[in-house]
Amino acid sequence: MTIEAATRNKLIFQLAEVLPENFLLTTKEELRPYECDGLAAYKRLPVAVALPDSIEQVQQIVKICSQLQVPVVARGAGTGLSAGALPHEGGIVLGLSRFNKIVSIDSENLTAVVQPGVRNLAISEAASPYGLYYAPDPSSQLACSIGGNVAENSGGVHSLKYGQTVHNVMQVKIVTIDGELITLGSETLDTPGYDLLALITGSEGMLGIIVEIVVKLLPKAESVKVLMASFDSIEDAGHAVAAIIADGIIPAGLELMDKAAIHAAEDFVHANYPLDVAAILLCELDGDDIQLAEQVEKVDTLLKEKKAVAVEIADSPEEQARLWAGRKAAFSAAGRISADYYCMDGTIPRKQIAYVLKRITELSEKYGLRVVNVFHAGDGNLHPLILYDAGIEGELETTEKFGGDILELCVEVGGTITGEHGVGYEKIDQMCVQFNDAELTQFFAVKRAFDADSLLNPGKAIPTLHRCAELGGMHVHNGELPHPELPRF
Amino acid sequence: MTNITQNDITTALQDQVKQAISSNTPLSIQAGNSKRFYGHSIDENTNAKPLDLSSHTGIINYDPTELCATVQAGTKLSELEALLAQNNQILAFEPPHYPSGTNNQDTATIGGAIATGIAGPRRAYTGSVRDAILGVKMINGTGEIANFGGEVMKNVAGYDLSRMMVRSQGTLGVILSVSVRVIPQPEQNMTLAFDASQTEALSYFQELRKTNLPITATAWLNDQGLIRVSASEQVLKSCKSKIKGDEITNGGDFWQGLRDHTHEFFNKNRPLWRFSLPPASSSVIPLDDAQLLEWDGAQRWVHSNTPANIIQDIAKPHNGYATLFNSNSRIETHNNLSNMDIFPALEPALLTLHQSLKSQMDPQGIFNPNRIYRGL
Amino acid sequence: MKAELSTSLLNPADYEVAADALSSCVHCGMCNATCPTYQLLGEENDGPRGRIYLIKQVLEGNPVTNATRKHLDRCLTCRNCETTCPAGVPYAKLLDIGRNIVEQKAERSLKEKATRKLLRTVLPYKNRFTPLLAIGRVFKPILPAQIKSKIPRNVAKGKLPITEHTRRMLVLDGCVQPALSPDINTATARVLHKLGISLITQKKAGCCGAVSQHLSAEDEALVFMKKNIDAWWPEIESGVEAIVMTASGCGAMVKDYAHLLRNDSDYAEKAKKVSELCKDISEIIVNEDLSKLSITGKEKISWHPPCTLQHGQKIKGVVERILTTCGYELLPVIDQHLCCGSAGTYSILQPEISKQLQSNKISNLQQNNPNMIVTGNIGCQTHLQEISDVPVIHWIHLLDK
Repeated sequence: MTIEAATRNKLIFQLAEVLPENFLLTTKEELRPYECDGLAAYKRLPVAVALPDSIEQVQQIVKICSQLQVPVVARGAGTGLSAGALPHEGGIVLGLSRFNKIVSIDSENLTAVVQPGVRNLAISEAASPYGLYYAPDPSSQLACSIGGNVAENSGGVHSLKYGQTVHNVMQVKIVTIDGELITLGSETLDTPGYDLLALITGSEGMLGIIVEIVVKLLPKAESVKVLMASFDSIEDAGHAVAAIIADGIIPAGLELMDKAAIHAAEDFVHANYPLDVAAILLCELDGDDIQLAEQVEKVDTLLKEKKAVAVEIADSPEEQARLWAGRKAAFSAAGRISADYYCMDGTIPRKQIAYVLKRITELSEKYGLRVVNVFHAGDGNLHPLILYDAGIEGELETTEKFGGDILELCVEVGGTITGEHGVGYEKIDQMCVQFNDAELTQFFAVKRAFDADSLLNPGKAIPTLHRCAELGGMHVHNGELPHPELPRF
Repeated sequence: MTNITQNDITTALQDQVKQAISSNTPLSIQAGNSKRFYGHSIDENTNAKPLDLSSHTGIINYDPTELCATVQAGTKLSELEALLAQNNQILAFEPPHYPSGTNNQDTATIGGAIATGIAGPRRAYTGSVRDAILGVKMINGTGEIANFGGEVMKNVAGYDLSRMMVRSQGTLGVILSVSVRVIPQPEQNMTLAFDASQTEALSYFQELRKTNLPITATAWLNDQGLIRVSASEQVLKSCKSKIKGDEITNGGDFWQGLRDHTHEFFNKNRPLWRFSLPPASSSVIPLDDAQLLEWDGAQRWVHSNTPANIIQDIAKPHNGYATLFNSNSRIETHNNLSNMDIFPALEPALLTLHQSLKSQMDPQGIFNPNRIYRGL
Repeated sequence: MKAELSTSLLNPADYEVAADALSSCVHCGMCNATCPTYQLLGEENDGPRGRIYLIKQVLEGNPVTNATRKHLDRCLTCRNCETTCPAGVPYAKLLDIGRNIVEQKAERSLKEKATRKLLRTVLPYKNRFTPLLAIGRVFKPILPAQIKSKIPRNVAKGKLPITEHTRRMLVLDGCVQPALSPDINTATARVLHKLGISLITQKKAGCCGAVSQHLSAEDEALVFMKKNIDAWWPEIESGVEAIVMTASGCGAMVKDYAHLLRNDSDYAEKAKKVSELCKDISEIIVNEDLSKLSITGKEKISWHPPCTLQHGQKIKGVVERILTTCGYELLPVIDQHLCCGSAGTYSILQPEISKQLQSNKISNLQQNNPNMIVTGNIGCQTHLQEISDVPVIHWIHLLDK
């Protein structure tokens, strides 16, 4: 998988010709910080890191790599949690961090033209003077880049009501592996031809390099209320989630945190979370005043009916920010209670939440590793964090096995291995569980249409049939277990 | 809820596709045929065989608390919508049914709605057809059955082929079943009407776009602006003071008429053009023919004999485009498809990408050939 | 994050700090979002996460070149990343350790060494810096622009009150501040006098040690620290209520004495006491009865919170509360969390990055047309004044009317 010396020399020579001095890193010392993204468990040293700041430079870089048959791994802020930006040992990292300009904000069409390296939150900050914001809000929104959001089809706390990235992007410009600049999508509500915009969203850097994005902006809600309900059992909280949805209410956000998550987050943000309960549910409602008042009343009643031991309603933006701060910091705050964590991202039907959480607890005992649960309950998008210590021999491997079990459990109950973090390198084996050969073959066909030589982020997201065959084992496919009559543990 | 019969039908369809692949015979995928007028005719230039999904019907899975319904592609929209209504839910994209024939037969299916991606009055407010797609089961270009997406709200495993099936008009595979996200049905609807020139209405719609009012449709025609608001009784009451116009009584019929093109506006014997423009386009399209605006002006309808190139030249400077939605009036027969380009031309590099994708996904070129663009 | 630190490179105390810092970092990258140099340079190596990674390599015994040193040098030590970090990584402590080792492993050019030595031998010494500044003022017209801009106008010290209150507090005179703006501590004394507090100085105390510490001359820094502790100790024993800091840079440093001297058997206890007594002037004033000052501020103010105050000492909203209570209108300032580029000796050693941050900061501060800009650290004050169209003063002056 590594590169031949002659190719390496040619590559670096040619890249240096098109890039200014500090736009190209080639020494081990400076490459090392690029060896992993937000998932530090996987590391690989790239041949070089290119840091262009113009589309022309991207085109030139890609053309050079294409001609020399050198893999290209695009990277934004490097906050991804599935090792999607894990470098290729024989390839370059194409860093888009210098594409950090908000090109324009159209307060009439409610759109913004942004470069891919712009931070997610920076868009909402820039749109704020116009009373607008960008809805998808991954927990890493302070740091993660919009280009990465498109590549992963990121969601967030507010996806339940306002959708994921795919629902909030109008147009994307990509540079293809041939160096061609192509516009996908448009400024109108639909675009002639195939919906390649939907296809590129979530394609994990494997179909093209995203160099410009037009995002949709929304008017800020007139009023917002956040309800925090405490529960003595996590199952009760799970039932409350189903009850709210069943009542025809789509909250802007509906998040669940278990005891471990509450404690970790509270330690950092001092959100005043109750520390003696099993779970809290954060429910954000928004809309115009009258509509909101109706909904708050309904949800408050529902929560209490479903055994909430306390419901706190935050009216002021400050109080709401306080409640959300803990949720948003929960992942990283886990760093306070554990050396390392492994964040899972399976999505399941809501009605399975309580069952799956119970099974995860059982698995936690089986593997002897702690789990923190903090997730988008309204979407059924779980984020169990497995706490481990990479310094302990073999613990990462145990963690991976545990994580794999959780994902296969998600598929078993009719869900998916990833809701918003992407497959990347991390979950590539579980893809064999979720998709059969025909489906994987279909993915290869799509890949060939864009990147026949498989130079864009190779080895990610879609496993080879060979890899799946080697893994073998028991496959759960579309919730249909082989031999369902057999007892399982 | 799937039964043996449906599995047999699936297998039969799969066999037909395999047969077509081996004999290199194009297929014309169809069910209700309610949107047959849309796009190039397949039968005309090829010896295509029909692939009929109209009996591939049934609700596979529907649990209102999951906000998702999985249905066979041949299931009638009317049947699906009736089931959802029993649970106070609706399809967010308000798909047109386009009833046709002498009895105004409603034959539209969910498969057709997904394949064409045509959405109704709600689209600008609660999302497009593609936005509601969670998963698709299809027969692919090698005759195999493949599942993409699923029934859960969020799913980013693998390329998003399920959403890409929307608007591909059967050219990339045969949709067997779909999982769509559904939304709660608002308690009540109210329609307000006000007198306004097109320019005035556009600027008022633009003003409303920056609010959070529960608007679910807007239209302008005959110097009248119309707004549909959907919410609880209390909220609707408060909206009356916030939105201009007087409440009209037959609002439901009006919006259905727009959705299904049964409104008298569409009863003309000239080609029907659909303009798709950025939502804030404030200019009036310089055509003498009568115009009907929807989606705050992002979708505009004109019956016009103006040549296609001139129509496209009008749309382009606004960063929009036009589609020859129905080459003749829909109420006429559809045997008169000209060689006119129905959809606007794609940039060369983009067209190449389309062709490459088509040839990878449908190597034999058997699925609805040329339906959207020649060569696809 | 997993790290295999080399025991031969680190003494046990540093080993513990470094191991703790590296294991609490989860590599999430949040820190990059608020890092001024990452924002400007768009390079992983120039953000906190990358620098932690670079330091990790060094501490694991990998070869070090001046590439690593270049990226560590570019760090402002503004500690914005520490405020942002959800995992609570003690970045600055790790950086100190990393810089010290890199300083030994990757030798600087003679010119660089000379500049840094010069800064260390002049700035911390009041009796060296003051005459040089006076000479500089005389020759200002013929000096190169880069130095010229760093020489502020002469400021009168002003009158000290004569006070004999029972409440007594020490104040650190410091090194650079008495030369550049001697009026700050006199104003502080007058304000505290009105509040019933006597402010006393201890002539033998001098530089807090921050200049040396940040130029990786840790031993030199320890000398300054111990000297100050010795100078203050008699007053501490006689019961001063607090050691007041009027420059937040010094405050952040003195509050760190406890950590830096924790393993010194002679000074650990005393350092702990000093750090406990150390208070920023805002922490003192906010608890007093401000009506005694009878101030009715009218001016529109842009407030620049120094990094050493908001990130170093984690004091936020306190000065704001004092000034609004006194009637001043605080204008909204965007990106208030970002460094102005002064950062101790940074403006001299990294002029390019410093200038960019300075101009970004000034345009944000001046956006809403303030009557003046106020801050709480002498470094920021002189740095901002260089290109500001309105006066830049210490906020304490607003209470001294």
